Amino acid sequence: MSEFDAIVVGGGPAGTSAAMRLAANKLNVLLVEKADPPGSKNVSGGVLWGNSLSGVMPDWEKTAPLERYVKSKGIGFLTKDSSIDINFRSTKFNETKTGYTVLRTKLDQFLNKKAKDAGVTVVTGVTVDRLAFEGKKVVGVEQDGDIITSDAVILAEGANPRVAIDSGIRPPLKDEDVAIGVKEVIKLPEKTINDRFNLREKEGFAGEYVLGFLDGGVEAGGFLYTNKDSISLGVVISMKHLRENNKTYSYDIVEQFKNHPSIAPLLEDGKVDEYSARMVQEGGLASIPKLYGNGYMIAGDAAGFSFSNGLILQGMNYAIASGIAAADTVVEAKAGSGISEQSLSRYEEKLMNSFVLRDMHTFKGIGDITWGSLIHQKMPGVLEKVMLGLFMEDGEPKKHVNQIVKEALKSSGLKSSKLLLEGYRMYKRM
Amino acid sequence: MTLELVVLIKVVPDGKEVFVDPVNFTLNRSMATNVLNPADENALEAALKIKDEHGARITVMTMAPPFAEPFLLECMSRGADQAVLISDRAVAGSDTYPTSLTVAAAIKHLGKVDIVFAGEKTSDSSTGHVGPGVAEFLEAELATYSRSCRYEDGFVIAERELEEGVEVVKIPTPAVVTVITDSNNPRRATLRKKLNAQKKGIIVWSLQDVGLPSDWVGLRSSPTVVKKMLPFPAIERKGKVIALDMIDDFVKELVDSGIIKRGGN
Amino acid sequence: MKIEDRLSLLNYKIDKSYAHITVKPDICETCPDHFCTFACPAKCYTLIDAKLNFKYEDCVECGTCVVACAHGSVSWTNSKGAHGVKYKYG
Ligand SMILES: Cc1cc2nc3c(=O)[nH]c(=O)nc-3n(C[C@H](O)[C@H](O)[C@H](O)COP(=O)(O)OP(=O)(O)OC[C@H]3O[C@@H](n4cnc5c(N)ncnc54)[C@H](O)[C@@H]3O)c2cc1C
Ligand code: SF4
Ligand code: SF4
Repeated sequence: MSEFDAIVVGGGPAGTSAAMRLAANKLNVLLVEKADPPGSKNVSGGVLWGNSLSGVMPDWEKTAPLERYVKSKGIGFLTKDSSIDINFRSTKFNETKTGYTVLRTKLDQFLNKKAKDAGVTVVTGVTVDRLAFEGKKVVGVEQDGDIITSDAVILAEGANPRVAIDSGIRPPLKDEDVAIGVKEVIKLPEKTINDRFNLREKEGFAGEYVLGFLDGGVEAGGFLYTNKDSISLGVVISMKHLRENNKTYSYDIVEQFKNHPSIAPLLEDGKVDEYSARMVQEGGLASIPKLYGNGYMIAGDAAGFSFSNGLILQGMNYAIASGIAAADTVVEAKAGSGISEQSLSRYEEKLMNSFVLRDMHTFKGIGDITWGSLIHQKMPGVLEKVMLGLFMEDGEPKKHVNQIVKEALKSSGLKSSKLLLEGYRMYKRM
Repeated sequence: MTLELVVLIKVVPDGKEVFVDPVNFTLNRSMATNVLNPADENALEAALKIKDEHGARITVMTMAPPFAEPFLLECMSRGADQAVLISDRAVAGSDTYPTSLTVAAAIKHLGKVDIVFAGEKTSDSSTGHVGPGVAEFLEAELATYSRSCRYEDGFVIAERELEEGVEVVKIPTPAVVTVITDSNNPRRATLRKKLNAQKKGIIVWSLQDVGLPSDWVGLRSSPTVVKKMLPFPAIERKGKVIALDMIDDFVKELVDSGIIKRGGN
Repeated sequence: MKIEDRLSLLNYKIDKSYAHITVKPDICETCPDHFCTFACPAKCYTLIDAKLNFKYEDCVECGTCVVACAHGSVSWTNSKGAHGVKYKYG
């Protein structure tokens, strides 16, 4: 007899959701989290998109520590001197809230407490070393030489899955799988934020930016999200492109973003209160490992579930949904034929039927395009020239829009056929 | 007979997350999470070392609201055998005097005790009163500022780190030893031990359990009066780096600026 | 804002008895790129007199360096016993 029906490694969104769902089904669950208090080592942008949490907490919008709901959504293309912004605001966001800004230390502590209240045995401040095997079957986890046994283990250890790698069930990460996320939290009075971003109480702004101006042509995306009385701002830097560049420091890039003429005024008089960094899963479908085996499943970032198009970054909702799917798989297996590789293969089926894997199939290969120099290097420049052509009054005779676009493309060295081709590929994938 | 060791702990706001309010000099703890008082971790480790060598039963004890429970469990998972939480509404507002009194009463209630360990001071109030206070109420010997200690046939031999140097004292048990921060490397809890500790749980005592009347404790029985909070002025560092062959010039500069005085000879 | 000033905002519980990341000096000695020095967001990897210097105390456990080092020099393990970085926002 095992000590637990299931052990969940990692108390982030994936792990806590899995644990809550298992406990709700009366299973005896152990959740192990290395940080104490939980969440104190985790970093997200972070907007929690979607409604996945309702699967374990129907009233989460009322009870969870949420900063603001996204009322205003921005996309910006930044060149050295200019920015072209698209800002989308909608009263529709009032009725159906699509995203909330969150701070992970608060959110994760809340989720771990909810798991505990649901009957999960929560242990914090201990790091699981490895999976424990009997032959090829996973029989629990190993920690400091002790083995704690369980029928199933759900690995939800986040973006640097040491347990999975050190247990030999997934390959080490490669450049293409990851990006480097670097973030700052900047304190500003609530009212100042409301004024600067044209928001009312509880309304928030979420902006993503293509940084087309970085020194040495590094490719990175920027984000800026409003919390109640602070701004979360950061960059996501492609590992592959930073390596090719090999002369820009990752920690300088976020400063370049902050100092951009269209960003700096938004932060004026703000006080940097925290600096943080975490690896981001970005590989898409290509970096997803084998998701299950005899006695284990992998969920959340550890499995590479996230969606990124170089602009927008989503992982928490995928983490929650995959954690719930893993938990349901254990519940069904225990009620049916028992835990085996066969019975846990239902996990992958569940993911295929949910947005987790469906999105990843839909956006297969999008990374090539978004991180491609087209969006990051050329597009902002082309847009800038078009805008200047349209709006600059320089005493020259006015040109037709067509002509302006053509000239802008020409000076960027982009062929319109290439733009069409890439544009079409992108369109197909979005 | 097994040695009976008691370790006194306190849960404090994480010192690195507490800020001084620039206006009225009170502490802003709103962002701070709770931690085990750093010196208490070393006190526990000192007790565990004696347990390793001689075998002992270790009881961890704190007087606090129920939020202290996870920290007591943490101590058990590092190797303490049991944990006592003295929790009673009547003790709210107690300063170090009634705290020492209550803790001493609880230790007596426990029965025989050989050595009581405590952190030399707590990071949130830094009085260093409780250890000596408990020693007084227990009529036990006392060694403060201990950086290491061992047990030998009814005696505690402690190295006391003082400003003038290190003093080695040998005192008979029962004894109270207060341990300085960073004097040893606290061991880590394991998952197995954490699970065992959770299973075992802690012991909760009220004032009545330890045999103290409630009007002996609390705010009204605390002689401390906080008159005013004053800032301790920060000293601006100049951050000068002096090359080795510039020492003479440097000394002259210090003398000229009145920072040091040249000694007469 | 200098990286050193940004790091000084952080709260660490430093593990004095365990370095969770280590490098192999002989590999770094012949490293052609020192990409770790550019990739690590906490400036734990620096070149001092052309020699790689690594300090784990400032590490924010982001996981970057184990991927960034293409020469197998970095051994990366999780911090233990809640040691290491402790964010207040995250
Ligand atoms: C800069 C940045 C910005 C982001 N922005 C967004 C955003 O706006 N929206 C969004 O949805 N997503 C965002 N993400 C992605 C999102 O943070 C992740 O997808 C999400 O956190 C994944 O959740 P998880 O539960 O799988 O892993 P994590 O949240 O990483 O949780 C894993 C947990 O496991 C613990 N752990 C690890 N190993 C062990 C072990 N051996 N033993 C015990 N415990 C262990 C860790 O301490 C951690 O608590 C962002 C990420 C970054 C870095
Ligand atoms: S850690 Fe790796 S990348 Fe850094 S210097 Fe050493 S070998 Fe080179
Ligand atoms: S884990 Fe991140 S912060 Fe730590 S040393 Fe590696 S790259 Fe630097």
